[in-house]
Amino acid sequence: MEKELKMPKLSPKSDDYFFGSWEKQVGDEVKKGDILFEVESEKVISEVPSDYNGVLKEQRVEEGNPISAGDVVAVLEVSDS
Amino acid sequence: MFYLPTNSTDATELFALEEWIANQAWGETTLLLWSTAPTIMIGKYQDALAEVNLALADQYHLAVTRRKSGGGTIYTDPGSLQYSLIAPKASQTIDFSRFLNLICKVFRQIGVPVECSDRNDLLIKGRKFSGNAQYNLNGYVIHHGSLLFDTDLDTMAAALQVDQLKLISKHISSVHQRVINLKEVLPYPDTETFKQQFLKELNPLVGGLQVRHLTTTQKVEVAQIRTATFANSAFIYDRVPTTLITKKRYFPGGGLVKLSIAVEHGVLSDLKISGDFFSNLDPYQLTSALLGRPFRPEQIRPQLEAILEKTPIYHIQVDDLINLLFG
Repeated sequence: MEKELKMPKLSPKSDDYFFGSWEKQVGDEVKKGDILFEVESEKVISEVPSDYNGVLKEQRVEEGNPISAGDVVAVLEVSDS
Repeated sequence: MFYLPTNSTDATELFALEEWIANQAWGETTLLLWSTAPTIMIGKYQDALAEVNLALADQYHLAVTRRKSGGGTIYTDPGSLQYSLIAPKASQTIDFSRFLNLICKVFRQIGVPVECSDRNDLLIKGRKFSGNAQYNLNGYVIHHGSLLFDTDLDTMAAALQVDQLKLISKHISSVHQRVINLKEVLPYPDTETFKQQFLKELNPLVGGLQVRHLTTTQKVEVAQIRTATFANSAFIYDRVPTTLITKKRYFPGGGLVKLSIAVEHGVLSDLKISGDFFSNLDPYQLTSALLGRPFRPEQIRPQLEAILEKTPIYHIQVDDLINLLFG
């Protein structure tokens, strides 16, 4: 099953983030808790982990671009295990 | 709270120490309090070419470093005091208050009323004396703060002033603010006295600082992190995929020089020079000598010296071009 992964809200003050870098590439196996990507907001670098096991199918955001909380960041082919 | 005394003035070593501490997962907050040799620190997703006057940094031997935390570029020197708090992460949500409340309490004890801005800076009478930034590692928050005590503000301003017509790259931009040195409002004669007073006031607020020291083996582990990451020029300069810069300057007696520059992952990938200067300089010869080199003053200067020795530009010297390229 494919699942769209959305940018979580990490800051009580701001919904705007600078998309820093991808830690997983399309085709990579992803385990729950693996870091998927990194963002910057309010002078804080935050790593965002996956909540699911699966395979990364799509990266919907380019490194260096702005994103907001709730934006779709990636598509994951979620596995049962 | 643990406290690791350190006499290192090398920011790359201190950044490595912070990371090493987070990796130990001691389950307790650890404090570092440190000063540096004259140093420029850029944020993780910043572009050194956009934020740092690399010509001036080269000329005055200012260390250029990159943090793993976010935010803008700062300048530190022996007149600055840096604090690092490495603490177990309480939640995924960004939180500065647990650290800044403590620092503000210390300053209240010292007798200075400070305010916290919405950018998580600490201010006195509206002027910034402390910036704060964080990153997360291994379930820990690494919180850095800078304290301007007797920092050379003129060098700071010059080092962080870059003169460019246009710069295009994807990066976090610095926000420049009015600053103040704490020495203006505190009676302490030097940074070391301020540091000792800071520790004295902090100590009871955290129920006593428990001093820790590293073993020789642990120091080697820190040094390995430093070498692999923070002292690695690729980490400092090569992060940004592409930077496009346009610059121009009129040199009295020499004429106008216009440069169009492209840098990819820290390497000069395109250079066009034009203007009304007087020279037999072959632009193709210039670009072929420079393209593919790391785009930093110490890497470009020897090539420029060799070229201009053969084909001088009337009333324009190598230093002029270095300042135009990097200043």
